[in-house]
Amino acid sequence: MLVLTRKVEESITIGSRITVTVLGLKGNQVRLGIKAPRELPVNRTEVYESIVEENINASNAPVDLNKLNEKINLNLKKNGA
Amino acid sequence: MKKIETERFGQLEIEEERIIHFPEGILGFPEQKNYVVLEHSPGSAFCWLQSVDNPGLAFVMADPLQVKEGYVEGLSPEEKSFLNDNNNIDPIIMAIVTIPRGEVEKMTINLMGPLVIDSENRTGRQVILANSGYDHRYPISQN
Repeated sequence: MLVLTRKVEESITIGSRITVTVLGLKGNQVRLGIKAPRELPVNRTEVYESIVEENINASNAPVDLNKLNEKINLNLKKNGA
Repeated sequence: MKKIETERFGQLEIEEERIIHFPEGILGFPEQKNYVVLEHSPGSAFCWLQSVDNPGLAFVMADPLQVKEGYVEGLSPEEKSFLNDNNNIDPIIMAIVTIPRGEVEKMTINLMGPLVIDSENRTGRQVILANSGYDHRYPISQN
């Protein structure tokens, strides 16, 4: 991991299109401003990792799901209701 | 036509035009970029997203719009624009279902991280609606 120390209002530039700016400090919280191209989504890491973990869990779907429709009443909104 | 091997469905022959390309893959599976949507059973609310490159990799999907009323309307304008990058044709929005082993009745759907499929150029991506307040483990069984 690259470690840099910045003061409030200072920035770092990643590649040529991403900039992270320290906007302010409050206690142990740091406010960060991020400029990145639209096609690069920016997320809190724990949120990103929760989606990765859920995808991995989901990829282990049991092989035999023939009973899927018979046993389960999906909590679906009925069309037109 | 392309022959693909799958663990759950055996060997399949599918039209090349059915293959959907995910340039970034699906989160956690960045190497697998090509998938095909398979029906689960006629009239089923579920379908499968089967990897073309990895026979063992497949996800169950369902329509989040049927699970949560106002799924798209409830999003901020910014998050709505994540779903519709193209502004041309309405994207197909699906969400991945997690089925705990041996506990089918405890299945959940990932409303926070839907898959957005552009049917015109056959591409797909997973979007994170982090500010939506939507649950990545929304229970969908009513048993």
